[in-house]
Amino acid sequence: MEKQLIISVSREFGSGGHEIASELARRFDLPLYDRNILEQIAQKHNLNIRRLEPYDEAPKNIFTSRNVKGFSNSPEEQVAQMQFRYLRARAEEGGSFVVLGRCAEEILKEFSWLVSILVLSGIGFYKERTMARDNTPEEEALELMSRADRRRKYYHNQHCRGKWGDSRNYDLSINSAKLGISGTTDYLEQYIKARYALM
Amino acid sequence: MVSAQIAAVAIFLVMFLLLVLEKFPRHLVTLACGLATLVIVFGICMHDPAAVAESLSFQSFLSPTFWYSLGEVETTTGINWETILFIAGMMIMVEGMAKSGFFRWLCIRLARMVHFKPAPLFILFMILSAALSMFIDSITVIMFLAAVTVELAQILRLSPTPLILAEIFCANLGGSATMCGDPPNIIIGASLGYSFFDFITNTGLIALAALVLVVPYFYFFFRKHLVPAFPQGESPVSFPQPREAITSKRSFLLSCLIFAAAVVLLITHAQTGLTVATIGVVIGVVTLLAAGKDAPSLLRRLDYATLLFFIGLFIAVSGLEYTGVLDLLAQFIQYVSGGNVYIMVAIIIWGSALASAFIDNIPFAATMIPVIRTLSQVQGVELQTLAWALSVGTDIGGSATPIGASANVVGTSIAAKNGYPVTWGQYCKAQAPATILVLVVATVIIFVRYL
Repeated sequence: MEKQLIISVSREFGSGGHEIASELARRFDLPLYDRNILEQIAQKHNLNIRRLEPYDEAPKNIFTSRNVKGFSNSPEEQVAQMQFRYLRARAEEGGSFVVLGRCAEEILKEFSWLVSILVLSGIGFYKERTMARDNTPEEEALELMSRADRRRKYYHNQHCRGKWGDSRNYDLSINSAKLGISGTTDYLEQYIKARYALM
Repeated sequence: MVSAQIAAVAIFLVMFLLLVLEKFPRHLVTLACGLATLVIVFGICMHDPAAVAESLSFQSFLSPTFWYSLGEVETTTGINWETILFIAGMMIMVEGMAKSGFFRWLCIRLARMVHFKPAPLFILFMILSAALSMFIDSITVIMFLAAVTVELAQILRLSPTPLILAEIFCANLGGSATMCGDPPNIIIGASLGYSFFDFITNTGLIALAALVLVVPYFYFFFRKHLVPAFPQGESPVSFPQPREAITSKRSFLLSCLIFAAAVVLLITHAQTGLTVATIGVVIGVVTLLAAGKDAPSLLRRLDYATLLFFIGLFIAVSGLEYTGVLDLLAQFIQYVSGGNVYIMVAIIIWGSALASAFIDNIPFAATMIPVIRTLSQVQGVELQTLAWALSVGTDIGGSATPIGASANVVGTSIAAKNGYPVTWGQYCKAQAPATILVLVVATVIIFVRYL
């Protein structure tokens, strides 16, 4: 791409945010940063990724964590900061990429070439997809969704000023249940192209 | 008075909760709660301007014994300006030392002495951590020691975690040995009028006995992790040189001299009559003069937030003290112990340790000082005995969990930043038994020696 482009995709659990981000990365021919950020960090610093993985996008427990002069004992906090540093460094180098979650809409907000998107769907769409895909009982599926979203919300709100899911923090919030995954991706592609033309 | 007591307790609990939640900078929390104590407790509830003046304690600067005192020192309440001045002076000195490369030089120099061999290095760094923490705050010691440990562990292809965990424990242990090693000790010493010599001959001996036990404990606990993971026939290419650490020879030499002078002044302050406030001011001023044109940058880097944190904390605690809440706590300890001095001392050691394992030991120690003072008066127990019990309990108890002491947070954070996150389980498995071991030893020593 001639100009830099960063697309951040935040998502509600089960909204298809990951599929949408992957497809956007494919269509714009950009790398997708998700869990693989940790692989890259581990590779670069010769670290064991298995030690870092449990803390990916995990909120810290405020009762078991403490901060002292900018140092925190929380592994969740450390892994989050590693990922934020990685994303900022890629952005500062002039890299274009799609990033899934990881507070990117806030971490990278000073970069004017950032397009921040929130994908949500509501319970119906998620239930339908999860129950059809994994044969999961409804109650279990709902519990899974509620737990995952609570975890994402705490993680996000610990690191960002703006609240998770508040549409004022994103350039565009979209309900993927209305157009489906493919239709939502098409719509977002048009939106990003329009934004890119103005950059 | 009841309304004042309720207000003082409520303010104190809110302060503790806000400190745990970390939503706001901790100095703003204590200052706001200090202000609330002055206005609500002393002003609105007690209508007592004298309590406000006493809590702010500005008059202490005018007392000659604040600067120079031979023999008995009167105990103080309210803001302990002696502690504030001493900590500020030591902070300036440590900033100067860090800038000159002193700490890194010392770590690498000693590592070279044992030819960078993992097991001797492990033991040496534990002792170094304890020795440095006797005179310098444990946060600074761990900040530098852990950074060098990570660097050397990477060269030696070891996990730095065992080394850092052992260093953290020894830093807390070393800090318990002297009056200037750990903030609770500075507060205890300055509030109750104890000297460096008092601490070293009491808590210092306990720390030494504990060190003799914990060094082999940690060695056996971690010995399997001290084997370098080099492929056969391969060895490290090169190790860092101590001289590379020194940023300026002149400032390095001056730092060494000032540090030596600070140690001498502290060791001899009971004989010279210089109070820790005077020593803090002298050391701070000399460091600034030696820094020359770098003095403004040293002053800019001074951790004002910590000093303000202490000021706010002292005021909030004075609210509990003036309203008699801490007397009630003392009465409760007296009631639980049934007047048995052994049980009372055990409650202070183990209760302080348990509290310090989970909450900041600085506010805890500041709160407990008036309590042990009352207990001593009412029960006729030697105040020093209770003071050593409080000191050991708060200093050592903090080692048990990753959040118990500042050094733990800094050390585990440095390990995690370098790709070695330390979980609570991992941390407590190594540190909690060592903490219990040291507390048992300390309890036995205090029982046998003082009761």
